[in-house]
Amino acid sequence: MAKAFSIEDGNLSNRAIVTSVSKLHSDIDCTFEAKYADNENKKGDIYKKTDAASVRQAVKNLLMTVPGEKPFNPYFGSALNGMLFSLSNDVDEDDIESAIFQAIDTYEPRVIVNRVDVDINEDNYSVEATVIFQLINTLETVSVTVSISRKR
Amino acid sequence: MSINASELDFFNIKESLKTYLEQSDEFRDYDFEASGISNILDVLAYNTHMNGLIANMAVNESFLTSAQLRSSVLAHAESLGYTPKSVTSSTAVVNATVTIPDGPETITLDQNTEFCGDVDEVTFSFKTTEAATATNVGGTYTFKISNDSPNITLKEGTSKTKTFFVDGNATNQAYVLTDDNIDTTSLTVDVYENVTTQEFTVYNNIDYVPTINNASTIYIIREAANGYYELQFSDGNTLGKAPTAGSRIVVRYRTSQGASANGATEFVTKNFAYNGDVYPIVVTTVAGSVGGSDKESIQSIKFNAPRAYASQQRLVTSADYEALIFKTFGAYLKGVVAWGGNENVPPQFGKVFVSLQFQDGIDEQSQEIQKQIISDQLTSNLSIMSIDTEFVQPQTTYLEIITAFNADVNKSNTSLSGLTTNIESLIKEHFNTELNTFSAIFRRSQLLQKIDNLSPGILNSQMTVRAQQRIDEVVAGTEKDHTLNFPFGIASPDKDTHTVTTSIFSYNGQNVLIKNKLGSNILQIFDLNNEVKRTNVGTYDPAKGTVFLSGLLIDNSTELKVSAFPANQSTLVPLRNYILTLDESLLDVSGFIETGTNKATL
Repeated sequence: MAKAFSIEDGNLSNRAIVTSVSKLHSDIDCTFEAKYADNENKKGDIYKKTDAASVRQAVKNLLMTVPGEKPFNPYFGSALNGMLFSLSNDVDEDDIESAIFQAIDTYEPRVIVNRVDVDINEDNYSVEATVIFQLINTLETVSVTVSISRKR
Repeated sequence: MSINASELDFFNIKESLKTYLEQSDEFRDYDFEASGISNILDVLAYNTHMNGLIANMAVNESFLTSAQLRSSVLAHAESLGYTPKSVTSSTAVVNATVTIPDGPETITLDQNTEFCGDVDEVTFSFKTTEAATATNVGGTYTFKISNDSPNITLKEGTSKTKTFFVDGNATNQAYVLTDDNIDTTSLTVDVYENVTTQEFTVYNNIDYVPTINNASTIYIIREAANGYYELQFSDGNTLGKAPTAGSRIVVRYRTSQGASANGATEFVTKNFAYNGDVYPIVVTTVAGSVGGSDKESIQSIKFNAPRAYASQQRLVTSADYEALIFKTFGAYLKGVVAWGGNENVPPQFGKVFVSLQFQDGIDEQSQEIQKQIISDQLTSNLSIMSIDTEFVQPQTTYLEIITAFNADVNKSNTSLSGLTTNIESLIKEHFNTELNTFSAIFRRSQLLQKIDNLSPGILNSQMTVRAQQRIDEVVAGTEKDHTLNFPFGIASPDKDTHTVTTSIFSYNGQNVLIKNKLGSNILQIFDLNNEVKRTNVGTYDPAKGTVFLSGLLIDNSTELKVSAFPANQSTLVPLRNYILTLDESLLDVSGFIETGTNKATL
């Protein structure tokens, strides 16, 4: 079927229609590490994260944020840190999984969570959660692991 | 590219930063709250928000009108030379007697003897302000104070004493009185030259000292930022003498619970002890406790400080009288108005007239006491020589409000009678909040606007206003002239309506009333069938607003209400000491259901 475009639309038929941009997501690298750190002469900007790496970093940020930390957005974050200090009888893998699902559903619209694996290590007072999710735009599957443990 | 920096709200600042980032492809994740760039924007926006907030607050606190913190308002007031009122003790007056058979010639009731009075089931402690003595008259003793009066003044509160030693090394020393609720009017400051001496010098509050020289002994009392009070003295140069190093300063004052103690009407005190026996002291209340007030509010300080500054602690203009009297005695007063004798009717040169509207519950005796105190403390000291102050009672002008309104009850969930009741309440509330004080102007359109806005069911309203002056008692059996002054002009005579009418009274065995002759300002007595019974009982002057009743003779003594249509019903401006108030007994509100659905014929 032949397509016709109006003059107002700028004779689009004469041009290639751009259907995607090269980089969907770009963010600051939260490690704040400078490029060429080992070269004094070239040291300058910090690194950027793009696309899947950017979203992966955002998911990790979200899960590691305690509600109340973000100014004027007291509900933002996940309940993971609070659970670390709960009695082991009160919290199980399902609770942690549910908290992760809820946080991502609410605050990260770029992903669909496929699976969450939770490993509670009571002896070391630590929890490790691996979130496997898919980017909505690219359908790329990414995983991120967050680990919380007491300092001493 | 620029950042919009005019908004102080956190989200607006963040939006401005996002708008800035939109103009670049460098970082695109700013819209996702979990992203790193969003977190950085949070920090930037929060920082800007806080800086803006602090700058805004700092600027606000720099001006008296916009300051919010009490400490800032106090500082501004101080720079204007205004001392905010402290807590004031409630004051009562009692008589006390005791009967002691075979007692001594004289007995004494010490200063600070405690009397207890209850207000709403809470007991407050009152103290005598000076010692009272009583002599034996047939075994009965009536205590009298120094001026030989049996009226003993009681002040609510607790007496306290603080002692300070003057350190010669300290500069700009302030002596802190660690109490929030000091009645600063009760403060006495005695300075002893050294630790052992019993001789002392009395220091006085700078606010009440008319002149200052190098021998003056004065102190300054000021409320500190934390609510406590600080006492300061001269540096020894500019404000008279300063306590020398090693001196002992003894400060006595009363802490009070302020307005809470107002309203006690009965007092008791402990029995009088003599020779091992005790005898009950019979206490009779002369005036219940009134005049207690809390610390001056921030709003009040903001209002009074500039006015007190304008008066410069001198009584020259009428506004000075109003500002200084209200500043000093505001706890007792709802309003003050003052005017020069040249503006009085009739003029009386060499006088200033002051009218005081006292708070509710202050009896006549307490009012007279306060007027005397105002004369002694303020007007005698601070007014211009040869100008006398004369207190006059407030004059009440009653307004008779007749209101009619059209209603569509389908537009409201209130019935016609409900709307009528609501309008009556609104009119009473309007008078309570907007009028009932000096210089408060009645504006009919404002009240009608409130009525129209009261409910969607009220379609429109109209109002007729009559003013009314009263003769408290017309004495029966004696012909007497009466003159009533309205504080505004009266409507000219009308051919159809009587402009002036009175309430009904008894004359020659008949119920009658006075009305003006139609089209004339001559007043006549009419019976209830509108037949003239006396052709001339006086006149009224529309321009001057006076009604003159000549040789009025009635059968039974009664109060007489004289009503008149004002020349301008829309705006009633009371003069001098007149107060406009509502005659609730003659408030008339009537509603009509609007039925004008037929658009073809009447």
